[in-house]
Amino acid sequence: MEHDPELVKRCLGGDNSAWEALLQSHTRKIYNLCYRFTGRPSEAEDLTQEVFIKIFQTLKTFDGAQGTFPTWLARVARNHLVDHYRRTKKDRVTSSLEDEVGGMEEKPSPTVEPVAQVESRERKELLQRALDRLSPDLREAVVLRDLQDLDYDEIAQVLGVPEGTVKSRINRGRLELARVVKRMEGMKGPAKAGGRS
Amino acid sequence: MTHLELENLASEYLEGQLDAVRRVQVEEHLRECGPCRELISDLQHVMELCHSAEDVEPAPWLVAKIMRATVGERKPTFREQLAAFFRPATQPRLAYAVAMAIFSFSIIINAAGLNLRKLTLADLNPRTWVYQANRTGHLLYARVEKFYYDLRVVYEIESRLRQLRSEPSKQEQKAPKPEAPPGGSTDRTVPGATQLASVQGLMTAAASSTGVLTKMVVKGRSPSP
Repeated sequence: MEHDPELVKRCLGGDNSAWEALLQSHTRKIYNLCYRFTGRPSEAEDLTQEVFIKIFQTLKTFDGAQGTFPTWLARVARNHLVDHYRRTKKDRVTSSLEDEVGGMEEKPSPTVEPVAQVESRERKELLQRALDRLSPDLREAVVLRDLQDLDYDEIAQVLGVPEGTVKSRINRGRLELARVVKRMEGMKGPAKAGGRS
Repeated sequence: MTHLELENLASEYLEGQLDAVRRVQVEEHLRECGPCRELISDLQHVMELCHSAEDVEPAPWLVAKIMRATVGERKPTFREQLAAFFRPATQPRLAYAVAMAIFSFSIIINAAGLNLRKLTLADLNPRTWVYQANRTGHLLYARVEKFYYDLRVVYEIESRLRQLRSEPSKQEQKAPKPEAPPGGSTDRTVPGATQLASVQGLMTAAASSTGVLTKMVVKGRSPSP
């Protein structure tokens, strides 16, 4: 498999297959980032497309010396998501029924028990709802660290803030998330809340 | 260490990023403080929840959709174009069509009497084709007719022969044997010899007529009635 800088170079030379290879290897990651921010599959899909259109238009500004391609990609995606968040702040409403249903649609794994599938789905829904309650600053820090597995310095590059601020946001985000999750599990009932060790 | 200090260091403690002194301080506080132990436990649970969360699968058409939105429809490669061009040729129905065309062409060529190895300019004239088709038709008719008459002649001969073979035995049974004239006779005619001679004459005539007919057919003329 070719490295990203090589693919970027070929892409800038007009090689469409290189661009397709970049898309193949990074779409999933960006889609998940968008999904964790919006919580809606269709919106995440549109945002992913918009992010890649932006990437395609600004590809020549990528400088490999300043950071890796995934970090640059995540930074562009994050800026776009923040813009989107500000733009839609006023008319944001609760998730539509269609998206709720769409979000629950997953391929059933033949090897996993139905009970385990239901539990896994419940955990995902709980996490997504809890993330939606966080402020964008804290949410993006937690998502980049715990769901996208980026290092602190990479997150600092993506968010454009010092590493100390990143650590602080991640810690505050996790604490807030823990409180929200605890509250949600408490609302579900003592049986489920007591399920964890 | 206060509760607030522990809260600020909670993530670094769980990720193992604290130095030894700080870690010992945190652990000492946790041994004495129940609410902080609960806080660390909640934080661990959330981190596990995040790490166990699997990636959400994007729609399978998303990459193609982005490709269309950025570079437009992908232009097929030369190999793909070539394969698309020859794809109809690999269909069985084309083979049937070609076979039928060859078959029809050979019938027309045969009927027109054209020799493809010795093709002349006159062979390309439609009048020649009509003439040749007409000639071939007549030849075919003559052959069929000849075959039919030949069969008739052969059948007649066979039936006469059968008749002749059966007649002497009947005559021998029915009629008494004529006595020889006294003093002998010079007449050596056997019964039925006349009929046999007539059959032989018939066969000769048939053979000669068949020969004439054959010659006429070979020459390409229809036999005169």
